[in-house]
Amino acid sequence: MGAVQWLLKKITKVFGRNTTSLFYVLLYRETLKEINNIAKDEEDSIIILREIGKKAATESCERHTAVFKWMPGSPRKVIEYFELLWVVVFGKELEEGELTYEELPKEGSKYNDYLVTIKSCPLCAGYGLDAEDTFNFQKISNKDTEGLACGLTGMLESVANFILKIKRSDYRINIVEQKCLAKGEEHLQFMCKIYDSLEWKELSSVRIQDKIRSGVKFEESIEEDVVQETKLDIIDKLQEVLSLDKIEELLDEPLEGVKSKVAEIIEDKLNLNPEHFFDYFKNYEDDLLRIIGYLAVHLLNEYGGLIEKILENTTFAKIAGYLFKQLREFVFLFIPIDVINDYHQLLISFLDGLASDEMVENIRQFSGKDDIRFLFEGAQIALENLGIDFSELKDNVWEELRKEREDGLLPSDQSMMEKTERNIPNLIRIMQEILMLFSDILTLPIRVLISESHYGLKTAINSVVSEEEGLFGSIKDRIDTIFDYVQEIKQ
Amino acid sequence: MNLTREDLIQSDATMNQMRNMVYHLQRFMKINGVSETRENLRRMGRNIARTYVKYWKPIDHINLSNVRDVISTIYKHILNSSVSIEIDKLNKTITVQDNDCSLCKYHINDIDVAGCEIIAAMTSEIITCINKEKSSLKLQPLNILDSRTFGNKSCIQSFKYEEGGVL
Repeated sequence: MGAVQWLLKKITKVFGRNTTSLFYVLLYRETLKEINNIAKDEEDSIIILREIGKKAATESCERHTAVFKWMPGSPRKVIEYFELLWVVVFGKELEEGELTYEELPKEGSKYNDYLVTIKSCPLCAGYGLDAEDTFNFQKISNKDTEGLACGLTGMLESVANFILKIKRSDYRINIVEQKCLAKGEEHLQFMCKIYDSLEWKELSSVRIQDKIRSGVKFEESIEEDVVQETKLDIIDKLQEVLSLDKIEELLDEPLEGVKSKVAEIIEDKLNLNPEHFFDYFKNYEDDLLRIIGYLAVHLLNEYGGLIEKILENTTFAKIAGYLFKQLREFVFLFIPIDVINDYHQLLISFLDGLASDEMVENIRQFSGKDDIRFLFEGAQIALENLGIDFSELKDNVWEELRKEREDGLLPSDQSMMEKTERNIPNLIRIMQEILMLFSDILTLPIRVLISESHYGLKTAINSVVSEEEGLFGSIKDRIDTIFDYVQEIKQ
Repeated sequence: MNLTREDLIQSDATMNQMRNMVYHLQRFMKINGVSETRENLRRMGRNIARTYVKYWKPIDHINLSNVRDVISTIYKHILNSSVSIEIDKLNKTITVQDNDCSLCKYHINDIDVAGCEIIAAMTSEIITCINKEKSSLKLQPLNILDSRTFGNKSCIQSFKYEEGGVL
């Protein structure tokens, strides 16, 4: 599993509302029993629980659409990310080696079928040992009926298809529970089949009401065919191309690789050549940088809306505002100008060849400091959107403290203690000046440290890049040799 | 080797989708003319408790002096919720306020019964099961006074208690 997938799994878990797995499993069992109390037919109950699971998962996905936009858009990749789907649905990570895939060739079809096996199923854990486990699988005669994980299967299918829908894929995945431990089988097994839109429409046209024989009523869910285009379509398209699998590929590639990948993505997904795409920002290069700063904050906020939630509290919003202002000041204090200019040069190198010469020239006119300033301006607009009122903030946090104090009425006859309190703002200002003095002095060693590591790394990278036959070539050759030996052993 | 229910106590699961399932179950009950939704949810809670206490219990005996800590432990251990508890000795009631109820998160217009009926029934049944065959404290769910399902800021569950074993 790649680093990004691992990270997303952790993030999904962090933002979920957790209980013990036993409570989850018992609540799931009781839901199935209640359905069966109404349907009085075990096979129908399984079908209904699966449908309820589908509806529940779709509802949840619709509340967190942005997260799923980062997932891969190909059905094959979605199945390969099955463990991530499992964590999204169940919240519990699988142990190493718990999940195995088997690809089943399907002639005449673009995609093969997949058999996903999970050795131990939490839903079936200890099922049948307690008196309250009254749902009886022995009453099910149809061997094609799913097992206890039917509701979970419905959830997994919904999450997978929700991802494909928002990624505007023409394919859908059908997930069916094939083996169930509670039914006496050796493990939990899912069959995943990929269908094109026509086949899927046909498959979904069978109404649930027609599948069940007990006569209970069930409200059918209506699947929307297409995701409506919105004015934010370009952002959606960017999210499409920056999906998990793409990020994982990009992480491993150096600048030239990244450049060609970005060009390929722009051509494939936006149907524009890179120069044409960047021409939209020609003469608005400063805005391009502001947009990057703006998007960075909003993208951070996408994971659970944490920033927005924190900023709902006016005190936290003010604190965050002051921290942001302080950070903006400190960037120039602590990071040496040469380092900032090197990153500016990197930006120019990145755009060179992708954007028009005129645009590259315009960017060249900026300084590294300008880049940082534009990025911070964009980030500030985003933070304003999310709840920080920068117009309300004083020049620094000490002024804010003084303001709070002035809001209260002072008694006409002041005690010594009250007089001391009145002098506190002045004391604070003296402390502020002393602290700023120390900060100025302290920036020197930090600047040295940053410069040392920056230039150390730069020298190392440059030496690798310039010596094709040197370290880089040597590592590459050795890995090639290892693979050759492995190949020989296999033969 | 498959997992056991003891193993499940040691791990967490995410309730986001399960929570929605409870409300879809209620809609399914409604569409099929089931009128005792609240009683059905309470039955679910009681059944959960009867199985749960076989694998975990907070203490062997519960009385009025430790019931506050017991309830707090049940909510923390099972539901991962930190609750505030008030005991009204005059009316013999206990109220539990949960600001982060695992079964209620969003205001749902078409739902009349809060999901935390399940939690209230489970909590009182755990206490009843532990105190079984002992004439000590008994607890019964009274009402869900507030719920995030109804648009309130938190869920407040009230219980009636009786010392000596008879409610």
